[in-house]
Amino acid sequence: MDVLLNEDEEMIRDTARHFFDAECDTDRIRAVEDGEERIDRELWQQLAELGWLGLALPAIQGGSEAPFAQLALLVEEAGRALAPVPLHPHSVASLALADAVERDEGGSLASSVLGDAAAGECLLTWAWSERLPGVGPDSVAMRAVPDGNGWRLNGCKRFVEAYDIADYCLVAVRTDAEGAPEDGMTLLLVEAGADGVSSVAQRALGGDYHSEVDFENVYVDGDALVGQVGSGWDLARPMLERAVVLNCAMIVGATRRAAERAFDYAKERVAFGHPIGSFQAIQHLCADMITWVDGAELLTREAAWHIEQGLDAALPVAAAKSFTNERCQMVLREANQIHGGYAQVKEFDQQLWYRRAAAWSMRLGTALEHRRTVAKALGFEEVR
Amino acid sequence: MDFTFSDENESFRAEVREFLDEHVSPEIVQEMRASAAGEGIGRLTRELIGKIGDRGWIGMSWPEEYGGRNADLIDQYIFEEELARARVPLNLGNFIEQAPAIMHAGTEAQKAYFLPRLVRGEVTFALGYTEPSGGADLASLKTRAVEDEDGFLINGQKVFTTRAEQSSHIYLMARTDPDVQKHKGISIFLVPMDTPGITVRPLWTLPGGRTNEVFFEDVRVPKDALLGQKNGGWYIGASALNLGRAGARRYCVYVSPFEDLLRYLREDEIGRELAADPVVQDKMAQLYCEARVAKLFTMRSLSMVRRGENPPYEISSEKVWGPEFQVRTTEAASQILGDYHQLWEGDTAPNGGSFPRQYVGAMVSTFGHGSTQVMRTAIARRGLRLPKE
Ligand SMILES: Cc1cc2nc3c(=O)[nH]c(=O)nc-3n(C[C@H](O)[C@H](O)[C@H](O)COP(=O)(O)OP(=O)(O)OC[C@H]3O[C@@H](n4cnc5c(N)ncnc54)[C@H](O)[C@@H]3O)c2cc1C
Repeated sequence: MDVLLNEDEEMIRDTARHFFDAECDTDRIRAVEDGEERIDRELWQQLAELGWLGLALPAIQGGSEAPFAQLALLVEEAGRALAPVPLHPHSVASLALADAVERDEGGSLASSVLGDAAAGECLLTWAWSERLPGVGPDSVAMRAVPDGNGWRLNGCKRFVEAYDIADYCLVAVRTDAEGAPEDGMTLLLVEAGADGVSSVAQRALGGDYHSEVDFENVYVDGDALVGQVGSGWDLARPMLERAVVLNCAMIVGATRRAAERAFDYAKERVAFGHPIGSFQAIQHLCADMITWVDGAELLTREAAWHIEQGLDAALPVAAAKSFTNERCQMVLREANQIHGGYAQVKEFDQQLWYRRAAAWSMRLGTALEHRRTVAKALGFEEVR
Repeated sequence: MDFTFSDENESFRAEVREFLDEHVSPEIVQEMRASAAGEGIGRLTRELIGKIGDRGWIGMSWPEEYGGRNADLIDQYIFEEELARARVPLNLGNFIEQAPAIMHAGTEAQKAYFLPRLVRGEVTFALGYTEPSGGADLASLKTRAVEDEDGFLINGQKVFTTRAEQSSHIYLMARTDPDVQKHKGISIFLVPMDTPGITVRPLWTLPGGRTNEVFFEDVRVPKDALLGQKNGGWYIGASALNLGRAGARRYCVYVSPFEDLLRYLREDEIGRELAADPVVQDKMAQLYCEARVAKLFTMRSLSMVRRGENPPYEISSEKVWGPEFQVRTTEAASQILGDYHQLWEGDTAPNGGSFPRQYVGAMVSTFGHGSTQVMRTAIARRGLRLPKE
């Protein structure tokens, strides 16, 4: 038992912090937010060269085989830096593909795109949610029916990150509509520009774009199968757990930075003749902020560690997410309070952290949904 | 990062649990409760302390020369967690706070006298810190100890001196120099409670416990009652604290009302019916996450102390989060259990009436051993380096 970082973990954290501090200033963040490109290609290429796009992927796919917790630390740093690159969806999709390849399940497309994904030459995303947001198996209703060697897809996916810049999208569909939500699900790797696909990118609170993606009679070849037909939930469940933990890591990273900015501001800003940070009311806010973000960080690391160790992660993941969503919003709110009116002003940088971390806390399951998972794990009978 | 305990840790846990299952009878728990209510330390309790001492579990993280085993702090943490799980209300403060101070600052004669007797339960300390003038600003204390040729003459008053009526000694903080900066004129004395001039008056507390006022009227103690340097008393605690700060016993106190509530809602017939409400389940899930954070804060402090680090603010965070969580839990319990929550005794009282006792007693955590306000200021100043006013 030692909940602090070990040497390897400290190394990746420090290297990533150093890199993003040097490379990723707010001009770059704003350039992507205000520009047409929706990704900082140069930064993306740098991440690829550093081996970070394949950090936790197997070596045969060009990865570094780092333990999952190290990837979570990298993503936490990317969140802290508000790095304007789609590291989250790309990591989530590529780890799911690697999982299928390692299980030796599915078609050959997955393994052939993974090497390019690690090299930054192929950008991956994933499509899960449809009408009601959530991370349970009942989220997926979109149908795929067999057609020749492959499938025909019809339906609509929402809240797909980075779809307009992605090359491939891992799509969860239902190949069998009968039975329990856990059954009859299949994962398919669809080319983003495939015939019959249309998408509309919608701007979100965090300044990035989420697409609504329509599939109209889209043909997908059998080769695009990821995992096994009908048991997609076996891959999707761990994929969602990883997605949730990496999302928590981003929130924690960005929220800690937002809080630190507020602590610094409190030391400099003078009111009534004193730095506001000398007032007890402000000091006590700051004490709560650091305590809350530390709590979210510890829960997130505990969840990442469970995943890394191959332990049942359902409870720690849900605990981390429900706590992080709510407590980090509270930290952001207090950080804004300390900045007073300036937190509302676009040209002042604080809002960059506020909007993104808040937006991230609205994805991948609400606190209420994750607490239902916690309650179930505590042994309460499900009532819905 | 590693969030689990090793196989050796777990087998130690199993050993402790087996011992407690075998030796902690309902009669002993009853006796300990009565003792907290002011009835002195009972025979069964003394026997139990003796048996625990025989196993080497009291002061196990102490150096071998003082009768300890140099055990890993993790083992001490596990031992404390198991004591709490078995609901053994054994006061460990003596072994974890006062004994390390004696090891650190005591003379050879003091160590030889006190340490072995502490382990056998023959010496027990009441903690004589707080005075009527205030506990948060402890360094403003007024009780005077004036040195003369034979020793010291003590006059003054302490308050909230828990277990003063049943302890052999008091670990007394008194002012030895009133003319210097307040932290620099304080000394610690180890004073037998049967010294002439000491009177103890009970104060009864809301959950049904006893604490005391202690009056010192021309109390004469010899020179060797002084622990460490004269006027250096304030700093003894600060430097000897690490052995004591990184333990499980505080977080166990913070989370025990949650654990009791969870057990009641899962196991009791009425409890199960109440728990069929999704709103109740949501609240319990929320409290679970918060309890987990309390535990992780403790594990973090322990990890830091084991690495030889001196946590700048983390222990204060633990001391803000945990007690406030404890209070929130008792308030939530009151709104989940409703009418049942008021019942102090009787057959229909959940858990024999423990819930309202926890409700009125939980707040002791939020001001005792460093109030949450003082702790927040410490986090801001020491941890975040915010300026003084
Ligand atoms: C059941 C029980 C058992 C106890 N056992 C012991 C014992 O064995 N030995 C012992 O020595 N003491 C004991 N105590 C005393 C306890 O440690 C004190 O109650 C505590 O230190 C607070 O002191 P006080 O009650 O004098 O409150 P005060 O110090 O008067 O504080 C009152 C309020 O003012 C706030 N406050 C004080 N200073 C500041 C500041 N600078 N900024 C903001 N807010 C501030 C505090 O947070 C608190 O909310 C016990 C108390 C109880 C109730």
